[in-house]
Amino acid sequence: MLSGRTFGLRRPSTARAVAVPVPAPDTPLGAAPLAMAKQPGGGGGWRSHTGSLLFILPAAIFLGAIVVYPLVATLVRSLFDNNNGSSFVGLGNYKEIFATDDILIGLRNNVIWVIVFPFTVTFLGLVFAVLTERIRWATAFKTVVFMPIVFSLTASALIWRAVFDLDPHVGMVNAAVQTVSDVFNPPGLYPIDKSAGQALSNLASTNVAATASATLQSTSTVSSGGVAKLGLVGISPFTLQMLNAQKVQVPSAASGGVVGVVWRDFSPTHVGVKGTVFPDEDGLPGLHVSLLRSDGSSAATATTGLNGAFHFDNVGQGQFHVQVDSSNFGSGFTGISFLGTQSITPTASLSRTAQALLSVPLVDIAMIIAMLWIWAGFAMVAIGAGLASLNREVLEAAHMDGATEWQTLRRVTIPMLLPVLIVVFVTMLINVLKIFDIILNMPPGTSQQDASTLALLIYNTGFTANPATGLASALCVLLFILVIPAMLLNLRRIRGT
Amino acid sequence: MTTAAISAVPVRTGGWRSRLRRRRPVLNVVLALIAIFWLVPSIGLLVVSLRPESAFTQSGWWTVLTAPSRLTIQNYTTLFSQGLRPGGLLDSLITSAVITVPTTILVTSLSSLAAYSLVFGRWRGRDAVFLVVVALMVVPVQMALLPVASLYKLFGSATGFNPFGTVVGVVIFHVAFGLPFGIFLMRNFYNGIPRDLLEAGRIDGAGEWKLFRRVVLPLGVPAAASLAIFQFIWVWNDLLVALIFLGGNAHAPLTVFLFDQVRELASNYWIVSTGGIISIIVPLIVFFSFQRYFVRGMLAGAVK
Amino acid sequence: MARVVLDDLTKRYVAGTVAVDKLNLDIADGEFVCLVGPSGCGKTTALRMIAGLEEISDGEVRINDRVVNNLQPRDRDIAMVFQSYALYPHMTVYDNMAFGLQLRKTPKEQIDKAVHEAARILDLERFLERRPGALSGGQRQRVALGRAIVREPAAFLMDEPLSNLDAKLRVQTRAEIARLHQRLTATMIYVTHDQVEAMTMGDRIAVINEGVLQQVGTPRELYEAPQNRFVAGFIGSPSMNFVAMTLDQKGGEPQLSGDGATVKLDDAQAAALRDRAGGPIMLGVRPEHLDVGSPDGPGLRLTATVDVIEFLGNDELIHAQSGDRDIVAIVDTDVNLKVGEEVVLRAEPRRLHMFDPDSGLALART
Repeated sequence: MLSGRTFGLRRPSTARAVAVPVPAPDTPLGAAPLAMAKQPGGGGGWRSHTGSLLFILPAAIFLGAIVVYPLVATLVRSLFDNNNGSSFVGLGNYKEIFATDDILIGLRNNVIWVIVFPFTVTFLGLVFAVLTERIRWATAFKTVVFMPIVFSLTASALIWRAVFDLDPHVGMVNAAVQTVSDVFNPPGLYPIDKSAGQALSNLASTNVAATASATLQSTSTVSSGGVAKLGLVGISPFTLQMLNAQKVQVPSAASGGVVGVVWRDFSPTHVGVKGTVFPDEDGLPGLHVSLLRSDGSSAATATTGLNGAFHFDNVGQGQFHVQVDSSNFGSGFTGISFLGTQSITPTASLSRTAQALLSVPLVDIAMIIAMLWIWAGFAMVAIGAGLASLNREVLEAAHMDGATEWQTLRRVTIPMLLPVLIVVFVTMLINVLKIFDIILNMPPGTSQQDASTLALLIYNTGFTANPATGLASALCVLLFILVIPAMLLNLRRIRGT
Repeated sequence: MTTAAISAVPVRTGGWRSRLRRRRPVLNVVLALIAIFWLVPSIGLLVVSLRPESAFTQSGWWTVLTAPSRLTIQNYTTLFSQGLRPGGLLDSLITSAVITVPTTILVTSLSSLAAYSLVFGRWRGRDAVFLVVVALMVVPVQMALLPVASLYKLFGSATGFNPFGTVVGVVIFHVAFGLPFGIFLMRNFYNGIPRDLLEAGRIDGAGEWKLFRRVVLPLGVPAAASLAIFQFIWVWNDLLVALIFLGGNAHAPLTVFLFDQVRELASNYWIVSTGGIISIIVPLIVFFSFQRYFVRGMLAGAVK
Repeated sequence: MARVVLDDLTKRYVAGTVAVDKLNLDIADGEFVCLVGPSGCGKTTALRMIAGLEEISDGEVRINDRVVNNLQPRDRDIAMVFQSYALYPHMTVYDNMAFGLQLRKTPKEQIDKAVHEAARILDLERFLERRPGALSGGQRQRVALGRAIVREPAAFLMDEPLSNLDAKLRVQTRAEIARLHQRLTATMIYVTHDQVEAMTMGDRIAVINEGVLQQVGTPRELYEAPQNRFVAGFIGSPSMNFVAMTLDQKGGEPQLSGDGATVKLDDAQAAALRDRAGGPIMLGVRPEHLDVGSPDGPGLRLTATVDVIEFLGNDELIHAQSGDRDIVAIVDTDVNLKVGEEVVLRAEPRRLHMFDPDSGLALART
């Protein structure tokens, strides 16, 4: 395009930048260090662009009023009393923090969270990131695992509250445990609800009594050719319906054997009359019964039919008792209280304060699992991005050097990922120090106190009835002190060191 | 530099990738199981919300696998038929939106402005101010709750309008606490814009505002989108601030609504599960529509 | 040290693209061979197949008569220097070089000896405890070389090792690598897109385009006797001028004529082109072989208008318009041309190359 006289070597074009440049997007997990901000972009130093100072004004007002000022105000407030803040108490509030058991419990929980969670979630994220590199459907997997982040913590809390619910009909975990437990310890058809205060003796009505071995035994004896009638009460009609119980029918005596019936001693037409077998009463099916000799040994076993009848054949000589076996009344698995305050460390015998400091309640573990479910996706994606940005050629060089996949991972990949891992770790650490929504919504009321953390304590102390503002402010300051190390780490990173 | 999306893929394919992704049946099975495990809790909630209330304690929701016909949307219709009465589900949906949308707009615009000043402006103390902004990112919300409440009261006695207990108060609070991260994200992005573009504009005589509006803002759209989406989901899901500033108010956002229901869990499980699902749907839709932006926003040093 | 043979080496991708098409190359023991070609021509893919980083679709790679197709890279007795140096950023220079040996559980004294020896050769001894981040580009490159040397491989594979260096360092490191080659008398297979590098460093050069080997030969062979139009245009800078011409008769003598250009053929050329009377011929002539001269005599005669003159010191680079094409010529400064001037450019018959316009093949000349 150049024409005319142009001597000398061609000079590079000084035309204006054309087209739209693509600015380097924010590097993942990092900031352009401050050094970059001082680009020599022409224009000379004499021109200082103060025009844009106004631009930062709105943000500055918001930040000043809502973040900076309160920060200082809270600090100041923590040094004053709990009522209207007029009298100066110095470090009194802080002393109170460490003297109150309930608060210590909160701090202990914070410690548990800090020790367990950041490390675990980073580790999990690393494992997932590394594994998903090796499958073809990585995007689908990552989406599934990442998704819980967009749920509100409240929604996630109630999801997991349901998962860990005590009732095996509601809680998936307990349901799974129950399935296994039922193999070894199956419930009977007529389980006793101990939690409702029911005892075996409540079931005995006519000719039966509860024994020490959790069975119901006939009070009178029978012998060959006899008929035994055992009456029970406290059986729900629902159970009868489920078992398809028929109306009771007393079988006729059989020579050489013992027959009988176990029935529900309740007649709607003859309310309150015990001991007689009325035709409108129900038989109790499916009961395992045994014929006991006088020495207690079992001579024969049988199961009651739909109308409650049973029979033993060729019983031989002697007097026998009829026993309704204990297996009928077993409640089987009743559920583990994952959201309860049972500690997994053996602290039951310690003093109250020691207990407060050293217990690790189950509910904490349950909540940590819920948080892992929420945040592992973030760790995985962040570390995955770090993995993808690694220089492929370095990994290939390791391959050429003879490193196996595992050796490469351990000695090259992970050390190179260290900055990313640290950022994830610190981010999760800060998250966990401030944790609130989960603690508020997941543990049932009975576990709330044992599960509380600093953030919850602040809420309870400062924002419920009878707020103790000085104490709450002190707790806020404590929380702030805890996050300061993370703040310093961030600042160091930004500075480009 | 990387395409910070969930599906980040390195540039060179061929040997490396295919070596990595060779046949590994065991790994695929294990990861498939993990993925299923990850989905199960959410699916559980969904199924519970689709069952009649009575079925809740009778049998576990997983039994629905054998009896799918028992599913019903009765819970949803009940909740929605309650209409817009204050304290109801629909009302809290709207309240959530009324809180979240203005917050998102304000945070995005104010962060962009501030970031412009921090990157392209040349004034004393500029770098120090940025460091302060970074430091503020970790300040816990709890520290500001009480002082701001009293600040609001002060404002109220001076002007007659006390923001406490109103949506405005919540929005102001959220905007303030969203700014540090927002400025951080936008500033990083703006840093990558070549200075020459603005110099060319300045030579042409353009003022700062024009430069901002015509050059920097359009270029910054990807980052602004990331910020907006991230901020949207964050504020939508917030509980604490709404609880403090709007607790007890007739109009409460979804998270507070849900929280109230959870407290009466035993009898209210149909509301809890249905409300839970509804509260999840909006962020989920936003997430899936703007996946790339959301992830990029999160990865830009999310420290919240 | 080793002889490396590529036998019909082919790389086919799943989508159907053929990156390397039946590459045949016989590299002698101790030879320095350059694979050169434009970006995406398959030279790096070929190198990676030799290294074992890329699966071989067809054909064989034999190192010292041993087929290595199915061997892991570490078992092939080769070492690779990557374009980005690929140093382990978290390890010291010493560990970078020792890593391969450490993995093999070599005894420590042996490792020590090997690393120090390599460091000495490359003048890296004072950097052994530093990390790559604290080194300059040139130093990092040397560490990458050191890592390869320590392995005492049968062949060195280098993938554009100089691309990331600035111009001055490039010239310097080029010489260092050449010196290294002489000192170690190692077989080296060197990939580059820069034909200057190839020409200056290689014993032989293999020119590749779109996966197909165009020509193999010494630098001089490629320069003086390119076998097709691609090689002719690729080798040499500034690149060869191409002029479309037709073979016809003038006064009983065969000649080439084109727009503003004529070529008086000598006997050998006339004989070679005998069967192509009336047909099109693509003429090639290098800028350095064009001169301003008298209108008569054998060879090429080209009239052109001077467009741009670039002063190079001893010579001038002339851009001229002839007909509808641009011609580049390098002439002596003394000629003193002016912009807009019409000149007659001459070139001797032996400096002319002729190619078939369709196939691009060089038309044989004796």
